[in-house]
Amino acid sequence: MNETILKLDRVTKRFSGHVAVRELSLEVPKGGIFGLLGPNGAGKTTTLRMIMNIIVPDQGKVVLFEGQKSGREYSDRIGFLPEERGLYKKMKVVDHLAFLGETKGMNRKVAIQKAREWLERLGLHDWTAKKVEDLSKGMQQKVQFIGTLLHDPELVILDEPFSGLDPVNSEVMEEVVVEIARSGRTVMFSTHNMEQAEKMCDRVVIIARGVKALDGSLSEVKEGYGKRNIALTFGSGGGGKAARVLQDPSLVSTLNDSGTSAELELAPGASSQRLLRSLVEAGVELLRFEVVNPSLRSIFIAKVGAEAATPVASEARNA
Amino acid sequence: MHKLWAVIRREFQTRVQSKAFVISTILGPLLMGFMMVMPILMASRETGSKRIVVIDGAGGNFGQSLERELSEARRGGGTDAQPRYEVIRIAARGRVQAVQDSLVPFTGLARDTVHRLDGLLIATDSAVDAGVVKYLGDNVGSMSDMGMLENFIQNVILSERLQRRGVDPAIVRAASGRVNLVTAKISEGRLTGESGAASFALAYAMAFILYLALLIYGIQVMTSVLEEKSNRIMEVLASSLTPFQLMAGKVVGVGAVGLLQLGIWVGTAMFLSHNAVAIAGFFNMPPESAAQMPLPAICWDLLIVFLAFFTVGFFLFAAAYAAVGAMCNTMQEAQQYSTAVTLLVAVSFFSIFSLLNDPNGSLARVFSLIPFFAPIVMPVRYSLTSIPLYEVALSFAITVLGLFGVAWIAGRIYRVGILMYGKKPSLKEVFHWVRTS
Repeated sequence: MNETILKLDRVTKRFSGHVAVRELSLEVPKGGIFGLLGPNGAGKTTTLRMIMNIIVPDQGKVVLFEGQKSGREYSDRIGFLPEERGLYKKMKVVDHLAFLGETKGMNRKVAIQKAREWLERLGLHDWTAKKVEDLSKGMQQKVQFIGTLLHDPELVILDEPFSGLDPVNSEVMEEVVVEIARSGRTVMFSTHNMEQAEKMCDRVVIIARGVKALDGSLSEVKEGYGKRNIALTFGSGGGGKAARVLQDPSLVSTLNDSGTSAELELAPGASSQRLLRSLVEAGVELLRFEVVNPSLRSIFIAKVGAEAATPVASEARNA
Repeated sequence: MHKLWAVIRREFQTRVQSKAFVISTILGPLLMGFMMVMPILMASRETGSKRIVVIDGAGGNFGQSLERELSEARRGGGTDAQPRYEVIRIAARGRVQAVQDSLVPFTGLARDTVHRLDGLLIATDSAVDAGVVKYLGDNVGSMSDMGMLENFIQNVILSERLQRRGVDPAIVRAASGRVNLVTAKISEGRLTGESGAASFALAYAMAFILYLALLIYGIQVMTSVLEEKSNRIMEVLASSLTPFQLMAGKVVGVGAVGLLQLGIWVGTAMFLSHNAVAIAGFFNMPPESAAQMPLPAICWDLLIVFLAFFTVGFFLFAAAYAAVGAMCNTMQEAQQYSTAVTLLVAVSFFSIFSLLNDPNGSLARVFSLIPFFAPIVMPVRYSLTSIPLYEVALSFAITVLGLFGVAWIAGRIYRVGILMYGKKPSLKEVFHWVRTS
C-alpha cells in the first residue's frame, strides 16, 4: 500500500490566546503533489512550521516517514522553503548553495557539482560566481528554490513558492515541481492561488481560520460539488444585460461574477437549458456557455465564503 | 559534526575574504612598523634647537648659571647629540618688563622667519627665593618640553640657593646633576633586559589588543545574528540546523578570524622586535637606536597565556553577544543590552591601571577569579610580574567554567530568540525563555 509520508493528527497551536490551527488532521501519501490551500492567515505557514518542528504543537502529533523523530532530525530527507526566506547577500551563489547542501548532510564537492547543474538548468549559469546581492529578486528566488532541492529530498515542502514570480519564472518552477513529483518524490506546497493549485495538485486540503474545510483528491473534491456549474463568457456589453438573469435565485444559487466572465452554480431545480434560454431572451451575447466541473476557486469561495476568508483579528502573532 | 564544521567554515570564509579583513590585517603590521621607526626618524631629523632668550633680572650669577646649564643640554644620544637650546642671555636688571615687551613680537613666529625666538625665560631674584620662574613661548603646550625645562631650571635654582648660603660652588657642581634612573626587569629570577617603560608598553598594548578584539569580534557576532534574523535566512537555517550548531558555529568561526588576525599582528610584532637591530640598519640608523624602539621583546610563555585567555575570554563574550543578537531585532534594540556586555569588558580594561601599580594586590587577585575580568587581567598581570602557576591555572579553570555557564544560558536564549520577531523582550521574558527552553 502507498506509504504515508506525512501525517498530522489533531494538531493544535495557540498564540497569545488566538488559535492559529485547530485540531488539524491530514495525510499526505508518498509521491505526487499535495496542495495546502487557504486564504491569508488561515494557518498554512503555522502548519508547515509545525511539520518542520520549528514550532511545537500544543496538542496533537506530527508523524513523518511513519517514524518517531521530529522534523529537524529528518531534515536531510526534507527540503523546506519557508514563506519568509532570505539569503546571505555577500556570499557567492555557488558557495551559498554548497553551504545549504552541506547543512543537509551533503558532501561539499557533490553539493557544488549539483549546484552548478541546477544553475545551468534554471538559466543562471552566468551568475554562478556572482554575489547574491547582484542578482535580481526573481533570480534570488530561483536560487532559494535550488537550495531547497539540492540534496534531492524525498519530501519537498514549499510555503507560497510562487509568490512574487513573474509568469515565465513561475512556469519554470512549476515544471520542476511536476518533474520531481513524477520521479517519485512528494511535493507539498501552500498557496492561495487556486488556478495554480488546480493545475498541479493531485490532492488538496483547504483550511480557513485554522480549521480544515475540505480534504481529498482534486477529482473527489470537484465531484463532491456536482455537475451543476456553468462557465460563461460574455461578448461586449453582455455582462450588464445578463445581470438581472443571473440575480434570479430560482436559476442561480451562487454566482462568481468577473465582469466579462462568470461562473455560477445552478439553483436546485433549475436546468442549464432554462438559464440559457433566459440569457438569450435577455439579449445577452454569449461567447461561451459550458457545463463544467466547478473550479477550485469557486469551490473554495463557496465552501469557505468571504467571511471565513478573513482571519479573526487578534494580538500580534509570534512569528 | 560535519554540519557544524560547514557553519564554521562559512563564517570564517566570508569574513576572511572580505575587503575589511584584508585591509585591517595588512594595516596592522604596517602601522606597527611605522610606529617603531617613525619616532626615531623624526627625532633625528628634528631641525634646529630651540632658541631661548634668558632675560636676566637677577643678581649674582644666577642668569649665567642658567645660560650655562641650558647650553649644555643635549638631545639625541651618543656622538650625534645636538644642543637642545640656543641660549642668548640679556642682562636686564631693573628693566625686565621693558625687555620682555620688546622681545615678545619676535617670539613664536613662523618657522622660517630669520629673526625668531622660541621662548623667553625670565630670571629674577624671586625665582631663586620663591622658586617661581616665568617662561613665555610657543611650546608651552608640550608637556615633555616644559617638563624638561623645569628639570634644568630646578637644578640651577638648587645650586644657586646652596651657593648663596655659602656652599662652595665646586661642591655644588659635583653634587648637582640629574639622576638617571635606569630600570631593568627581573622575571623569574632572571634579568630579561627589558626596561620599565617597555614593560608598561607591553602590558598596555596587550590589554588594549584584547579589549579591541573582544569588542570588534564580539559585536560582529551580534550584528551577524541580527542580520540573519532580519533577512530571514534564519528560517531556512533553523529547519536544518540545531540552535547549538548555529550559535557555536558562528562563535567559533568568528573567533577563528579574530585569532588569525591577532596572530598575524602579534607575529609581526614579535618579528619586528626580534629584528630591531636589522631594521635599524635598513633605515641607516645607528644600532643603539634599536634599543629605543618602543616594541619590547615578548617571550613564549607570555604568548601562550595571552592566547589561552584570549580564546576562552572571546568565546565567553561572543556567546553573550550572540544571545543579545538573538533577543533583539534591530541594532537599536540590541544596543541597550550589548552596552551591558561591553561594560564588563571595559571594566577589566581600565583595571589595568591599578594592576600596573600593584600586580599582586587584592584587586588584581579578585579580578583574576571573576570569569568576565580574568581574560584581560591575567595576561596583563603575567606580563608585569611572575605569578605562581597554580594561580594561573585556577584563574583559567574558573574562566572556562564561566564560559560553559554563559554558553549554556546563551544557548537557551538563542534557541527561542532566533525565530522571535516582534517587540524586544523584557528581561523577565528572557528569564522565562531560559527556564522553559
